[in-house]
Amino acid sequence: MALKSSENDKRVGWFCAYTPVELIEAAGLRPVRLFGDGADSDEANALLHPATCPYLRACLAAAQRESGPHMLVFANSCDGMRRLHDAWKHFLKPDFCFLLDLPRRVDWAGVGLYHRDLLRLREDLESLTGRAITPGALRRAVSDWEATRRELRDSADGLEGVERVRRAVALQEEGLAWKPGDARGAAPQSGRQGRTSGVPVVVTGNIVRADGLLSLMEEAGCRLVAADICSGDRFFQDLGLNEAELEGLGVDGMLRRLAERYLARIPCPRMVDSRRRHEHLLETVRRTGARGVIYVSIKFCDAFIYDFPRLRAALDAASIPVLMLESDYSDQHEGQLLTRIEAFLEIIGDSMAAGRGQV
Amino acid sequence: MGLAEDLRDKFKNDLSPELLRSRLLWRTARRLARSRWNKPDWRADIVSLSFFLDRTERAFTGKGTVVWANLLFPPELIHAVGACAFYPEMASAVVASLGLAPRFLDEAAAAGFTRDTCSFHRTALGAAAGGFYPAPEMLFSASYPCDSASHTLNYLAEKLGAEYVGLDVPAHPDPVTLDILAGQFEEAALRLGARMGKRESQVLEGLREALVRSNQARSLLLDIGALRRERPCPLSGRELPGQLSMISAAFGTEDGVRFFQMLRDQIVERRGAPSAAAQEERTRLLWMHLRPYYPNGLADWLEERGARVVCDEFALCTWEELDPDDPYLSLARKVAGHFLVGPADRRARAMAALARDYQVDGAVHFNHWGCRQSCAGAPLVRSHLQNEGVPTLILEGDCVDEREYQEGQMRTRLEGFLESL
Ligand code: SF4
Ligand code: SF4
Repeated sequence: MALKSSENDKRVGWFCAYTPVELIEAAGLRPVRLFGDGADSDEANALLHPATCPYLRACLAAAQRESGPHMLVFANSCDGMRRLHDAWKHFLKPDFCFLLDLPRRVDWAGVGLYHRDLLRLREDLESLTGRAITPGALRRAVSDWEATRRELRDSADGLEGVERVRRAVALQEEGLAWKPGDARGAAPQSGRQGRTSGVPVVVTGNIVRADGLLSLMEEAGCRLVAADICSGDRFFQDLGLNEAELEGLGVDGMLRRLAERYLARIPCPRMVDSRRRHEHLLETVRRTGARGVIYVSIKFCDAFIYDFPRLRAALDAASIPVLMLESDYSDQHEGQLLTRIEAFLEIIGDSMAAGRGQV
Repeated sequence: MGLAEDLRDKFKNDLSPELLRSRLLWRTARRLARSRWNKPDWRADIVSLSFFLDRTERAFTGKGTVVWANLLFPPELIHAVGACAFYPEMASAVVASLGLAPRFLDEAAAAGFTRDTCSFHRTALGAAAGGFYPAPEMLFSASYPCDSASHTLNYLAEKLGAEYVGLDVPAHPDPVTLDILAGQFEEAALRLGARMGKRESQVLEGLREALVRSNQARSLLLDIGALRRERPCPLSGRELPGQLSMISAAFGTEDGVRFFQMLRDQIVERRGAPSAAAQEERTRLLWMHLRPYYPNGLADWLEERGARVVCDEFALCTWEELDPDDPYLSLARKVAGHFLVGPADRRARAMAALARDYQVDGAVHFNHWGCRQSCAGAPLVRSHLQNEGVPTLILEGDCVDEREYQEGQMRTRLEGFLESL
């Protein structure tokens, strides 16, 4: 495979939080997460069925309109993502297009399969760039990414809601070029710390746009004390790896470690073990003193559709009120959504005042 | 009137979980199955009917350990230990054919499942929650063909208090990943075996026998595939009897061998005297994904126009002969080698090869609402087929929810397509 995109364009687009950015970095390339532009995605209809995740369709539509990036790593995280890879590869013919297999189990089999695919990715990246990935380069990339994630966490300490998510998104879009002040669309350094008044709420879900639904929630009167979303707080987790731990390991051994650590993170709803995720969410609600949970599921996302009834049962059992919202990613039905959020806040405000938890 | 209609008329209104466990229902079903009125066009259907009646009765009346699995999970592994395999997706097709799906779909909606997911699974969720499907001991899912199956079975395992084992099938099969899948099969078989009180040696012996029978059925299925390639095609999609469900559920059993043997023999008999519809064969079609299971007139309507489905995506043998001495790796190869595993160009290439082999004039991709894996891949499959000169129609619909069926619209689209061929 030859590197056709401009020599200066080292961007490799990625989509799913299980993508090992460290490995892409170690190949001398620049991992950037794609979010689409939130604009109309109708032009993707001919390539990807309209009843497919609107986030994926937005990414595809943006690629149909723009020119890059031309190198992409897709994770095989769901049927929709796999088909996005297929359509992109077949119809848009990028220079590099890799489908990284992603198991649902996190035991020996899951780690084994994921590790195997990291090795495959390594081989393909090496033949793309014509350079071997050395243990030193990988170790450096792991440690740089760990440090940057920690830096993100520190810089966002005390920051809530939209501002916090913007910062996480900036890191995902910028990669290691990110600086603590970065946040696209963020208020200039005015000392604003996100919304600090309002009804404390935890938002959980998949890909929620900061400038769409999250802003709307704040507008409605939520104080978003945690954003347990794929593009938000989940990105604040580091892997817990340090250079000393990787010392003496070859690339293969380091990739095994990466496989173990990525799979050991708080699972996303596509994984087999949803209970851990639910426990984590309950713990977040308790820790933050939130009065309720807003669950945002992107339309047509099977993982979240199947997760919700179970999560709701867990929340009901703990007397935590929950509101389920469905997002089409462009979040254009603002009025309707705003009314629902306001009604929810009113109820949880009242019920808490009356000492009841259930809505 | 067929057996399904008889049963529906007798029991539809007061169908309840208790009724499904009652002797009366199963006695009646068996009586109807044996009655002289039950003369299916294809003799093999008697075998498939008795196979499913027997297993379902055992499952409902507590005479067997019930194991649920999804479409690509190998039935050989379940039969090897003598458990009752239950395939909820297929059960949903039966439920739809009896006109009962809307009721369960509504129950699934009430439990919080939006209609944006596959109705095969929503029907299963509604039916299982209401106690209409037999209680499982274990549930297995292979991670293909779709995410919906893994999510449904995982959810139901928790709901029904049973053990769930999800198997990760590698998108890129190679010796390393196949070995890992084989290990998962071994673990699954031993876990199930332990529940059934079987020692490892007994599990292995069971597997050996199941794989031998599976190979016998396989070679018969290959014969049937070769016969369907002839002109006119001696077995059209409309007549495709219990074949689809037998491929998913009966490989590895004696009944599976008998079924495919009888079917093959009868097709051979009929070659010399083609049916009226076969004689009228003008347009040969490849059908991708499935068809509506509720009563509808689409298949007859197509045949009346001389259009015959000569090849069905799900009625194929997609795997090499299994090695009874190396069961786990064999099953791993069988599953991971399926064209629905991994990227869609695998499926597209397989469909293009079928179109050539069966000399079809056109292809229809039935877009079952909510089936991400197939609908989202349809434009790519069509593009491959059209590059090979095979015109392809994408038809939107729902295989299970009869309320979404608009025959008029479908006919108009098909009519236009047939004319263009
Ligand atoms: S949001 Fe859901 S459908 Fe979309 S990419 Fe993530 S898992 Fe897949
Ligand atoms: S129709 Fe699609 S989503 Fe539904 S069971 Fe079949 S493969 Fe899965």
